[in-house]
Amino acid sequence: MSIDVKNVTKKFGDFVALDDVSVSLPKGQLTALLGPSGGGKSTLLRIIAGLDNADSGSVNIEGTDATRLPPQKRNVGFVFQHYAVFKHMTVAKNVAFGLEIRKRPKSEVERRVKELLELVHLSQFAHRLPSQLSGGQRQRMALARALAVEPSVLLLDEPFGALDAKVRKELRDWLRRLHDDVHVTTVFVTHDQEEALEVADEIVVINNGRVEQVGSPDQLYDEPANDFVMSFLGEVTHLSGISLRPHDIELESAPRLAGGVEGTISRMLRIGFEVRLTVLTVDGEEVSVVVSRTHARSLGIAEGSTVWLTPAAGATVIPRMAAVG
Amino acid sequence: MVRVSTPVRWLLRTVAVGYVFLLVAWPVSLVAVQTFEDGFSNFVGIFSDENTVAALQLTLMVALWAVVINLIFGVTISILLVRYEFPGKRALSALIDIPLSVSPVVVGLALLLVYSGRTGWFGPSIESAGWQVIYDSPGMIMATCFVALPLIIREVVPVLTEIGDDQEQAARSLGASGRQTFLRITLPSIKWAVIYGVVLSLARSLGEFGAVKVVSGNVTGRTQTATLIVEAKYQNFEQTTAYSVAFLLAFVSIACLVVVAFLRPQHEI
Repeated sequence: MSIDVKNVTKKFGDFVALDDVSVSLPKGQLTALLGPSGGGKSTLLRIIAGLDNADSGSVNIEGTDATRLPPQKRNVGFVFQHYAVFKHMTVAKNVAFGLEIRKRPKSEVERRVKELLELVHLSQFAHRLPSQLSGGQRQRMALARALAVEPSVLLLDEPFGALDAKVRKELRDWLRRLHDDVHVTTVFVTHDQEEALEVADEIVVINNGRVEQVGSPDQLYDEPANDFVMSFLGEVTHLSGISLRPHDIELESAPRLAGGVEGTISRMLRIGFEVRLTVLTVDGEEVSVVVSRTHARSLGIAEGSTVWLTPAAGATVIPRMAAVG
Repeated sequence: MVRVSTPVRWLLRTVAVGYVFLLVAWPVSLVAVQTFEDGFSNFVGIFSDENTVAALQLTLMVALWAVVINLIFGVTISILLVRYEFPGKRALSALIDIPLSVSPVVVGLALLLVYSGRTGWFGPSIESAGWQVIYDSPGMIMATCFVALPLIIREVVPVLTEIGDDQEQAARSLGASGRQTFLRITLPSIKWAVIYGVVLSLARSLGEFGAVKVVSGNVTGRTQTATLIVEAKYQNFEQTTAYSVAFLLAFVSIACLVVVAFLRPQHEI
């Protein structure tokens, strides 16, 4: 294991940010810490980096007990949500910072900065100031700066959170490809489940200061440990005592399948290729169903139509828990 | 921006310019006019008066020491106020503003109460250890430090607050020690605020009168600063010398401000 966090607790006044959290992150992988805002995931990342200190518990990085080490001795690279660029230095100087602190020979610094700027596609901006770069370019520079010191782990705190949707998607793909090239153990914090599912090898779901589940994106999506994980990874609806995804419900205009629940369509909303329906069942439940536009047309349904609902074969279902989701 | 009709705009301009002209520009320019009434001879003349030269040297020495001391403490206190939480922080912040609101004469008297060689709290013990504070340069430097204390801090604190500690954290995570982070990241980021604070402090220190008058004893040729000699010469009917020294003081202060205004990059705050 590359990073071992054991029994870490962190409080800010009365607020418990992390409650006895233990998690092991494997070497060489890209791990996402996923959870809602204020759930404690950024705090965990900052404790791993040494930017915050745990009240109790230990952090072990690559076999070294790092619990009491200051950040500069942990050999981690940290990328901040708001870039934290050194405003008074050129792009090249920013990237060179960690190497110059380590008193590396000038020729080596120059060679390494050149390599890294090529890696992040910023070679032509080497002599600009960060204020002359776009948000996405600044974040790529911050990433190159963190990679320059050859950290044993790379930590990214909501790295794409401050960027617009299109750039965010581009950088996300780029990070995945970069990780496939560089293979440094990487942990990134995100509240965007799509980002986590798309980029990460492994996802740690954190909520209310606790780890809810650890697993691959497929495991998490197909076998959620509880209602919270299921609802955080995608939309959830409830049908006769179980939780399942709205697109995993079979919709029929006649009672053909056994166990179908009868209901009336109370609302119908078309968004692009999909149609979102709210069905009021005879048991008094409000169920969300998503079908394709084509399927809805073939059934000839409209608001007020009577339909029959069944969980689709192979759908992820878990028993419904009270007061969650 | 709100549109204002042309007559109102002209009225506002006239009022603002007229106010500053009558209050500041005209009186100060008259000092210059008085100084150079008979050409440069009066102005050059002050440099042949032994006491005046001594006063100017003393002022320079006191001001430079005060600026250096305030620079070190000012930057340290600013970082303490912005980057750290500790009990009594608000009280400290309020204390720093006292020199702005209290008359310098009060400052002088307060220092006398503590450091006076005969009656002060610490004074006698310091004096028996061989240190003369009051009626000597240490007291004058202290008084000047006191009145100029907030100037650097009030310049640096807003800038430190605005830049946040992201860059410092990034530097730490990249392996920089506390000292390296301060020298390579924090100091370059607050550079202009510090320079501006230093210039304001220098201008304020050169011109300090009340506090220094109380603690210096105003001994001609020994503890008489430039501002004190202006008063003394004026009262001794040596007006031209008084105006010349006053002009020199004003000139140096204004020159400092002008130089910084030109040096400071336009896009930085």
